[in-house]
Amino acid sequence: MSEKGGLAIATEQKPIELILARSLLDSLSTPGCLIDLDGTVVYYNEAVGKLAGIAFEETGPMPASEWGDTFGPFDEKGRYIPFDEHPLTLAVRAGRAGHFVQRFRSANGDHFEVAVSAIPLVGTTGFEGALVFFWPARGQ
Amino acid sequence: MRLRIWGARGSIPAPGPRTARYGGNTSCVQVTLSDGSVLVLDAGSGIRDLGPACDGVERIHILLTHLHLDHIQGLLFFAPFFRPETEIVIWGPRAPGRSLRDRIGRYLSAPLSPIEIRSLPAKVSFRQCPPDEWRIGPARIRAAPVRHRGPTLGFRITDADSSLCYLPDHEPALGVPLAELEPDWISGFALAERCSLLLHDCQYADEEYSERVGWGHSRVSDALVFARRSAADHVLLFHHDPLHTDSDLDQLHVRAGERWAALGGAPDALAMATEGAEVDVRADGARHTNGAAAPRAGQAGR
Repeated sequence: MSEKGGLAIATEQKPIELILARSLLDSLSTPGCLIDLDGTVVYYNEAVGKLAGIAFEETGPMPASEWGDTFGPFDEKGRYIPFDEHPLTLAVRAGRAGHFVQRFRSANGDHFEVAVSAIPLVGTTGFEGALVFFWPARGQ
Repeated sequence: MRLRIWGARGSIPAPGPRTARYGGNTSCVQVTLSDGSVLVLDAGSGIRDLGPACDGVERIHILLTHLHLDHIQGLLFFAPFFRPETEIVIWGPRAPGRSLRDRIGRYLSAPLSPIEIRSLPAKVSFRQCPPDEWRIGPARIRAAPVRHRGPTLGFRITDADSSLCYLPDHEPALGVPLAELEPDWISGFALAERCSLLLHDCQYADEEYSERVGWGHSRVSDALVFARRSAADHVLLFHHDPLHTDSDLDQLHVRAGERWAALGGAPDALAMATEGAEVDVRADGARHTNGAAAPRAGQAGR
């Protein structure tokens, strides 16, 4: 099979659900990010970039573990909450939305509290990832 | 692989003398594979004229990108449905809830239709397109959801060394900078990547688009950027707006050619889809045997 006609497609396409969600994030001033099936933070918008202190263009996609090492989340005692144990990860993997208040650390080392809402993205062929929004925590 | 365009119009049929050259029938493309198998891409009003050309064909696959009326309205008028010896397989997009048969049945039933699906003499079956590649005859078919309104698929059909990508209703530039976006984030990109021939939505002139953003269709310049980024060998601009007359499309054609050249496209690699056009899709280049011409300078304003 020749490369030209032989479905030698070099690009592994993102699911349409993530593509549409990214467009939504790009048009919002609410901070939001996208996590794919593998737990990779595949995109975050400019508003998250401001919160985190670093733009997506600079970091690129990051595995959740790498994201966690850099930005958190941390519990009230400052301990890192592993991605696979995080209540929002558990909720989304169970097909539910979740909401949680937690601590993050920006790229310049500042810690801050933020409320996080995660929504599972379920397409016609199944679970594709999660859309995650960040809101001011109580009192902010 | 060989294709014939039986309808290149979008939205609603646009018959009459002002649209006679490009044609007024809605989306329908016949694809004849290397073993003679027949695929039909969409069942707009153009499928009515295709019917008689399918005399003697025992099995026909109809691949529906989506179920908007301009892509299914010709179904009831497709002659092979009324031949008991014919087997017709209808492929379409998945959607939550109802089956493909039930969704099409909303159109092919009273009060919109005098005939129900179960009354059709042909052996008709319905299949939701799988997420993974599948085979029909010698061809490998890949379907993937693309940006339009409602569940909509694009198709890539590969037969031997040539490949055809069909994206008749597609707005990949909605809300994103198409020229700079990473390829894996571009709707439809993997379907079109390095294909031999791309049929792509070009419903709006650039100056019309600002009033129609989000309607699910492309302006010409976005279609061209998509085609260049996906490195399609040849491009047929498809799904013409029903308000565009032959004269309007001639002007679009010229302007598209200029824009295409500015993007670095080869002059003979771009054409407007016209009803009746026949194209040989070959790995070394799509060849129009009639009806579809490459852009020519000096046609604007005719």
